[in-house]
Order: sequence, then C-alpha cells, then structure tokens
Amino acid sequence: MIGTAPKPLEDILGTLEKHVKIAVTGCNGCSKVAKTGGEPEVNAMAEKLREFGKEVPVALTPERGCYIHFVREKHENSKDALSSCDAVLVLGCGGATHVMRQYTEELGLKIAVKTGLDTVGHVDIVVPGSLAIEQCGECGECILNETGAICPVTKCAKSLLNGPCGGSENGKCEVDTDRDCAWVLIYNRLQTLGELNSLKAYRAPRDHRKMNRPRRLVLR
Amino acid sequence: MKVTELFSRKVFVLTSEVGPIKGCVRETSTSDAPAFLKEAELVKGVVHAVNVTDNQSAVMRLGSLAGSVKLKEKGIEPVYQLTCRDRNRIALQSELLSAYSLGIDHVLALTGDFTTLGDHAGAKPVFDLDSVQLLKIASELKEGRDMEGNVLTQAPDFAVGAVVNPNFDPIDLQLIKMEKKIEAGAQFFQTQPVYEPARFEAFVKRVEGFGVPIQMGFVLVKSSKMARYMTERISGIRVPDGWASELEGLSPERSKEKCVEMSARVLKEVGSMCQGIHFMPMGWSDVVPRLIEAAGLPKIS
Repeated sequence: MIGTAPKPLEDILGTLEKHVKIAVTGCNGCSKVAKTGGEPEVNAMAEKLREFGKEVPVALTPERGCYIHFVREKHENSKDALSSCDAVLVLGCGGATHVMRQYTEELGLKIAVKTGLDTVGHVDIVVPGSLAIEQCGECGECILNETGAICPVTKCAKSLLNGPCGGSENGKCEVDTDRDCAWVLIYNRLQTLGELNSLKAYRAPRDHRKMNRPRRLVLR
Repeated sequence: MKVTELFSRKVFVLTSEVGPIKGCVRETSTSDAPAFLKEAELVKGVVHAVNVTDNQSAVMRLGSLAGSVKLKEKGIEPVYQLTCRDRNRIALQSELLSAYSLGIDHVLALTGDFTTLGDHAGAKPVFDLDSVQLLKIASELKEGRDMEGNVLTQAPDFAVGAVVNPNFDPIDLQLIKMEKKIEAGAQFFQTQPVYEPARFEAFVKRVEGFGVPIQMGFVLVKSSKMARYMTERISGIRVPDGWASELEGLSPERSKEKCVEMSARVLKEVGSMCQGIHFMPMGWSDVVPRLIEAAGLPKIS
C-alpha cells in the first residue's frame, strides 16, 4: 500500500488560512489502512476544521482516492455542495490529491486542492495505523528471484547489488543499528535454500530509465 | 612507480592516509600549509603512497582529486579515493578520466559512508553504482571504452585498488564480494583495520589463493576513549583488551610512545602475512615513521 502520515494540524490550518468553506475527502484504500484518511479520520478532520471556524459541507471517503471513477461515483450526489466550497482537503496520498484536483477541474471548479498527508510511498503494514515498513522500492527491474525474495535495492541503505558494504556489524546496518543488514539476510536465506552461488554472479548497474519520473505504465 | 609494480617486485608496500580540509588550497605557503598537506609531508619518503579520502564519513570537504593533485605537486604519490556516494555513473567515469589527466596513477574504489552519518545528513545519497561496478567500469576505461562501449580518445592507465573487511561476519559473504572485486579488476586490497594477528591470519588463509596483494589496514589508536569507541562502535573491530587501560591518562607524547609500542607488537606479527601495511594515522602522521621503525617494517627505497 501507499504509506501516508498526517501533516501537523498547524500546517493544514496554515495552508487553508484564506479558505472558509472546505470539502474534506479521504480514501478507503491505503489511507484507511494507515488510519490517516479513512472515514473516522475524515470525520475527525471535518470536526476539527469546524472547531477552527471553517464550514465543512462535504466529508466523503471514496472507495479509492487514486482512481477517478471511484471519486466521481462518491461525489455524484454532492457536486453542488462541493461547488460551493473554496477548497478541498484530501486525506489521501499524493496520487489521490492529483486525482481530486483533476476531478474539480472536470467539474469546472476553480478551487484549491490541498493535501493533509505526507506521502511516504510503497510500504507494507506491520501494525495498522502504527507501523509500516518499506520492502519494495518499485525499481522496475525486480531481482527478488536471485536474492531469496529479499530486496537489496530497498532493504540495503545503499541499494548495493553485489554484496554488503564493510559496515555491517552483528548483522545490523551501519546506517541504523536497529535495522538488519539486507545482505546478511540475503546470505542466510540463500544459504538455507542452497543457492549461495546466486551471490557470486556479477550484477550490472541498474537501468534508471525504469525509475525516471514521472513513470507511466502501459499494460496493454 | 605504481604500487602494482612494487607488489610484483615483492616490495612490502607502505601507504598512509590523509583527509582533505574543509576549505580551499589555492594559496598554500610552506608556513601555513593545510593540515593534510603537512601530514603528508610527515610521511614523505617513509611510505610509497598516501591515500586521499573522498569526503570521508560523508563530511563535506575539499575533493579528493584536488587533494591528490596537491600531493602529487609536492612529490608525494597519491592514492585517489573515489566513492559511489555522491556521483552517478557519468560523474564517476568523468572523474576517473579527469584524475588520470591530472596525473593520478592510483585509484581506490569504495562504496562510501552513508550520507546521514555526515554533516549534510539531508543530502541525496547517490549510490548509482556499487564498488564492484565501479571497479569494473574503471577496468573498462583502462581498456579504452566507457561503460556503454564508447571509445575513448585516450585511455587511463591507473592502478586500481579496493577495500575488504576481514572483521566482517559472516566472512564468507565478504569474501564472495572480494572475489567479485578481483574479477572486476581490483589489483590490490587495503583492509579495514585489524588489531588481532590471529584474526588476520585466519583471513589471510582464506584469501591466499586469490592472487592479489593485500595491505593490512591499521588505524592508530590514539587514546583510551578511541580504543573503547572502536571496539564498541566500529563494525567488527576489536582493539585488544589491554590497550584502553594502557593509554588511560597519558600525556599526548606518552600516548604516542605507547601507541607505537603496542602497535609495533601487532605489526611485527602480521608483517609476514601480507604484502604491505596501510596506515590510517587520524592526525598522527608523525607517529607513522616511528612505528615503521619500531615494528621493523622494510624501509622504502
């Protein structure tokens, strides 16, 4: 999922300073799981903004904020209320914020679209609403089949492809001693699987064209 | 003469190391020479070459290329250290061409300390290449082509070295990488510091079939605090138990004498196990000649 963290309330109030009537919209996908933009968080934000003198005529949570069809569907019956607002606050990832901006433009609305979250990226949930960790860096050229399903691009701080740096201590990373050295994990895993030979192969530099932004995925 | 040639002549190769300053070196009179140049002068004629670190510990300083050129101008052979932390593949290759064009004959390829450990913690860590890939690309440049196969008008011809950590656990994982470095073109190795002859001997036995010269790395332990810090905080390093207490409460000069005495004991034991020693004096370059003498290491000719 896409990990998100709430921006400080003072930042949100700051960015909405000149706006009076706010629509708050969330996401029942990743932000719901992260407990940053599901229905409870959207309603709580609406209440908080009212406490600070804002009007909040719209507080909705589409099934997915990143897919415009779901956004259209959810807002279908509240277009007039949305049109009366002078800003939208999105409790979703950066993608959801883009999609919401696109939707308001579709409706011909000239209103600000702001995000209430900082987007961290692709993470996996350990404890919902509390802890998520990054396991995939979305590099576009997956080498998990050769590294025992442990990604050095993501799990090694330096994204090394040909083995560890010299800084690992007791299996921990020199950058953060609370974190396992990815290459020691890979070594142990491949040893268990009897596939240590996989480590001996030279791995060429990655093709960063696959990570050049903005990326576009054409499936068919 | 390149260290590779010295190794092939069975010369015991001695190198030391300096870290460039945070500032420029445009004006350098003898009286107020920057610290790293003064340090290099202290080992001139005592070691074969001097490593110049590349923004060591991710602390921004004068570049290792400028530092290396300054050493060369003073008749001191530099080993130009180049890390993968701050440059992508275009910059790394360009740096290598620049270095050779400016007279650099020795390059040491390293991964580099991570950005957050330094004084610009918010910097973007690059690591476009790793050290194995950097070595391979340096080898390709020497053969007259860049990593994309484009022909160079003139190829560099430096000796390329690499680093290995004998303290690493599991050591097999480090040795796999070492072999990849050799395959990629590493012509000599400098190790992370080792203080335990038995541990170094065990490492040497594992790599003796690799066929590359190895210089054991040796950081001068300057104080009891440093001895404890290195054992507790630096990856895999174990400074012998007695060293911290022996250095406790000594004056700077006495500390140097004690450092020489304790270090010489280790170097006497390991000297026959390797093809050279790489000193990392950490500001105590004046101790290096005394230590070489005390350890009875072969003098450079």
